[in-house]
Amino acid sequence: MATTSTDTKRRPGSGEGAPGRPRKKEMSETTLGKVFVAPAILLMALVALFPVVYAFVISLQAYTGRQREGFAGIDNYVEALTDERFWTSLEFTLIFTVTSVAAEFLIGLGFALLMNQAFRGRGVTRASILVPWVIPTVIAAQMWFFMFNVTPGFINNVFGLGDFSWLGQSGWASFAIIFADVWKTAPFVALLLLAGLQTIPEDVYEGARVDGAKMFQRFWYITLPLLKPAILVALLFRTVEALRVYDLPQVMTGGAFGTESLSILVQQYVVRTPDPGLGSALSTITFVIILGVGLIFVNFLGKELVIGGEGENR
Amino acid sequence: MSQPATRTQAKKRGGSQGVVEQRSAAQIWGKSTLLLVILFWCLFPFFWLIMTSLKKGDRALNSPDLFQGPFGIQNYEAVFQQDFLLNLRNSLAIAGMTTILCVLVGSFAAYALARLPLKRKILLLSAVLAVSLFPPVALVPPLYELWRTLGLLNTWEGLYIPYTSFTLPLTIFILTTFFAAIPKDLEEAARVDGASPFKAFYRVIFPLAAPGVFAAAIIIFVSAWNEFLLASTFAPRNPEIAQTVPVAIAAFTGAVEFQRPVGTITAACVVVTVPMIIVALLFQKRIVAGLTAGSVKG
Repeated sequence: MATTSTDTKRRPGSGEGAPGRPRKKEMSETTLGKVFVAPAILLMALVALFPVVYAFVISLQAYTGRQREGFAGIDNYVEALTDERFWTSLEFTLIFTVTSVAAEFLIGLGFALLMNQAFRGRGVTRASILVPWVIPTVIAAQMWFFMFNVTPGFINNVFGLGDFSWLGQSGWASFAIIFADVWKTAPFVALLLLAGLQTIPEDVYEGARVDGAKMFQRFWYITLPLLKPAILVALLFRTVEALRVYDLPQVMTGGAFGTESLSILVQQYVVRTPDPGLGSALSTITFVIILGVGLIFVNFLGKELVIGGEGENR
Repeated sequence: MSQPATRTQAKKRGGSQGVVEQRSAAQIWGKSTLLLVILFWCLFPFFWLIMTSLKKGDRALNSPDLFQGPFGIQNYEAVFQQDFLLNLRNSLAIAGMTTILCVLVGSFAAYALARLPLKRKILLLSAVLAVSLFPPVALVPPLYELWRTLGLLNTWEGLYIPYTSFTLPLTIFILTTFFAAIPKDLEEAARVDGASPFKAFYRVIFPLAAPGVFAAAIIIFVSAWNEFLLASTFAPRNPEIAQTVPVAIAAFTGAVEFQRPVGTITAACVVVTVPMIIVALLFQKRIVAGLTAGSVKG
């Protein structure tokens, strides 16, 4: 919603300004624009784009340890894709992404609806919602590790579970990691959705109320459709981020008990058991998967929504 | 005939209004009570963290009861015996440099995207969006090889350079939104008064965008401060050189092997988190505006 409003505000202004100006100034503004954009483009190309290309080059080489042995063709990719570890970590990453994003969305939406309707205590709640966001993920991971862990056993004590080993068996270890992620990120999703909710004008609801729409109908036929852009943006960023998951499983389980994510797997071949070729092949595969999912989402969002609001084509 | 009818109607209306008011008062309280769920969700684990960090000796490890003492500040003393100040210094320097570079480079780019005539603006924005979707792990193997050759492993530069390029897309999105929201007339007026485009930018736009720039700066700082994957790969050890806070917290080892020192770790966590929470609360409104601006823009 915000996107379209700034868009319509800006469009007439820039349309007026451009043709009226003298030619010389227009030129200098164009040059200035290029000069202003150049450092950012350069930096991103050098430290984000170039390494990805370089990774692809490395992935075609054969290595023993860190020693290059020659050209390997697609051997590294074959090795990566036939390794069961790759498929297990892909499975964990996908399960983690789907369940955590779904839970974060539902809980975040609930929180946002609550905050949007409450009159008292909204300010305090909105402030407290920033607490999980600002806590570093590593700290959240340590915190939940100790809460789930057998010693001191806080969660087991609260629910009377004795010595139940959450982090020491597959399945429940994934659950604990997903839980920690949902704790940290659901409030953030709530923040994004609340911003979306607040752009819905009150009179739309008034009208529906006069027409006799029940609460659930108002939610289903008014809130959800109008909130759709905010929901899609939140889902896009959460999904892409969840696919990158590294900190939580690395700190909580070290990737044991079926909680090795793609990022942990790639990192493993960089430091612990160095193999630049295989590591780069895995990182390239991961890159393609994550960027692919992101682009599918962006397509869903529609060019109009994501980019149309930003600038106008000249 | 008509008079009594209207009176009963009026009464009915008055009566039902009363019910509605009562119900809405109850609803207000009900909804406000439900907010407590959110407060509990967000704050309780942090409360647990503080209580655990204050437990003396092995109580932190063995006692699940939050209110069971004895309590003391020994864990905090232990934290600062472990080079933790050096980790804090590294993290401050790296996150600080990332913030400065990002704001500098990002605000120029954002201004150009929001205000200046640029060819292929859509293409540029798509590229920025694509970079924001990049998984950091894709950079780990190639950058590790590059940094090894260039001698940038275990250095501040080796971390804040990739952090800057990673946080730039978000910075650009946030700042473009803020710049675009500044009324164009002000700038035009400055131009009419004879200011050059560059002067219009740094004398008129930049001060007006200061709150937005500040919000972006906090968000950049937090994300650089929290980064773990690159930090633990490129500078896994040596607090005296470049090991950052998250890496140190993940790597804290205790006297007993295979036993994580709960007390020390939780105390370190509290030391790091409290200042960040204070900053987040102080600038709450701006941060929220920045976060939502960045994401609404995609």
